[in-house]
Amino acid sequence: MRYVDEFRDPELGRVLATEILAAVEPGRHYKFMEVCGGHTHSIYKYGVDDLLPANVELVHGPGCPVCVIPMGRVDDGIALARRPEVIFTCFGDMMRVPGSEGSLLDAKAEGADIRMVYSPLDALRIAKSNPDREVVFFAIGFETTAPSTALTLKRARAEGVKNFSCMCSHVTIVPPLRALLDSPDLRLDGFVGPGHVSTVVGARPFEFIPADYGKPIVVAGFEPLDILQAIRMILAQLAEGRCEVENQYARVVPYEGNPRALEVMAEVFELRPHFEWRGLGFISQSGLKLAEAYADLDAELRFEVPGVRVADPKACQCGEVLKGVIKPWECKVFGTACTPERPIGTCMVSSEGACAAYYNFGRFAREREVV
Amino acid sequence: MQVESVDEARGLALCAAEDGARSTVEIALVEPVVPGDRVLVHAGVALTGLGA
Ligand code: SF4
Repeated sequence: MRYVDEFRDPELGRVLATEILAAVEPGRHYKFMEVCGGHTHSIYKYGVDDLLPANVELVHGPGCPVCVIPMGRVDDGIALARRPEVIFTCFGDMMRVPGSEGSLLDAKAEGADIRMVYSPLDALRIAKSNPDREVVFFAIGFETTAPSTALTLKRARAEGVKNFSCMCSHVTIVPPLRALLDSPDLRLDGFVGPGHVSTVVGARPFEFIPADYGKPIVVAGFEPLDILQAIRMILAQLAEGRCEVENQYARVVPYEGNPRALEVMAEVFELRPHFEWRGLGFISQSGLKLAEAYADLDAELRFEVPGVRVADPKACQCGEVLKGVIKPWECKVFGTACTPERPIGTCMVSSEGACAAYYNFGRFAREREVV
Repeated sequence: MQVESVDEARGLALCAAEDGARSTVEIALVEPVVPGDRVLVHAGVALTGLGA
C-alpha cells in the first residue's frame, strides 16, 4: 500500500533506531511530547518507544479530541438529546464519554434518540429524511474536523434544511500548547507536531514554539518510521543548536496548510473568549462557536442548554495525563476501576486516548524494554 | 481513499478505502479531483490530495 508499507519497514526502523541511539548525549534525559492522540496510538501499537534509548522519554499531549471534552459539555449534550423532538447525532467515541450522570450511550439506552454518525454530512442526511424532527450534530475535534462541520453547515444553509443545527465544541490546537509551555509542571525538550491538524492549519502556526519558547518541533506522519524520523530530526536540531519548525510529513502537509479549509472555517466559526478543557481548565480563545451569520444553525441558541460546569471525579487524573505530567499507569484507577469497557475518564475512551493506548497495547508496567 | 467518481455539481465524490468500503466525501477543499486520485479524508471531507 503506497505511503504505508514503506513507512512500516522494520529494517529501516532499526536503522533509524541506531541513528537515534548515536544522536543522544549520554547522561542527558530528553523529554519529547507527541501532541496528537494518533501518534500516541501508533507509538504503542507499533512499539516505537521500545526502539528508543532509555534517556528518550515520550510524553503524551492534549491532541485527542474526545479526551479534552469536559463533563459539563457531555451533560449539556445529554440534556439536548433527551428532548422528545430531537435526534442527537455524534461520533461513535463521543457516545461513551462519561458525563456526571452517565454517557450519551446510557441516555440512548434510557430512550433518547441518539445516533452515531461518521461525519456531519451523515447527520445532515438524517435531518433531510426526518423533516418533522430537530437533528442536532455534536461537533467535536480540532481543526482537522472543523472544516467538515463548516462545510456541512454551509450545505444545510444552501439546501434550506431548517431542522438541522450544531452544538459546536470544536477546539484549536495552539492555545493548549501555549498553556502547556507556560506551565511550570512540565519541562519539555521538543515536540512531535500533529500531522492531521497540520494538513489544515499548516506548520506555520507552530513557529511560536521555537520563537517564544526555544523548543524544536517536527510535524510528523503516523506510521512508525514517520515518528522515528521525527524524533531523529528533533535530536539533530538539538545537537546542532538549531531550533525551528520542520515538516517530516511533507508528503501530506503543506507548510501553509489548506487555505480553502481555513477560509471556510473563518466564515462559519468564531473564537469563544474562553473554553473549558477536560483537566486543563479554561483556556482563552481555544474553542470555536458558530459565527453570527450562522447563529440560526447554533443548537445552543435554538434550544435551552443548561451550560453546566462539573468537576471531574476525584479519582480521575486525566488532566495530569493530558498535560503529560503523569503516565497513564500512574493514575490510581488505571486498568482497575477505569478500563475501556467502563471508563471513568475520557483518556480511556477513544483509541487516541493515552490511557486506552497503554491499556490496549499492554503497557501496564512501569519499565519498558530498551534496545 | 481513492476517488471513484465525482459529482461536480454537488461537490461530492464516491471514494473507496483500502479495504474496499465506499463512502461519499466532500471534495470542496481539494477540487479539482478526478477518478483515480487519492485523497486524505477526515470526517467525510477530503483535506488534501495525495496524487494519483
Ligand atoms: S486511567 Fe481513567 S481516570 Fe485515570 S487518567 Fe486514565 S482515563 Fe483518566
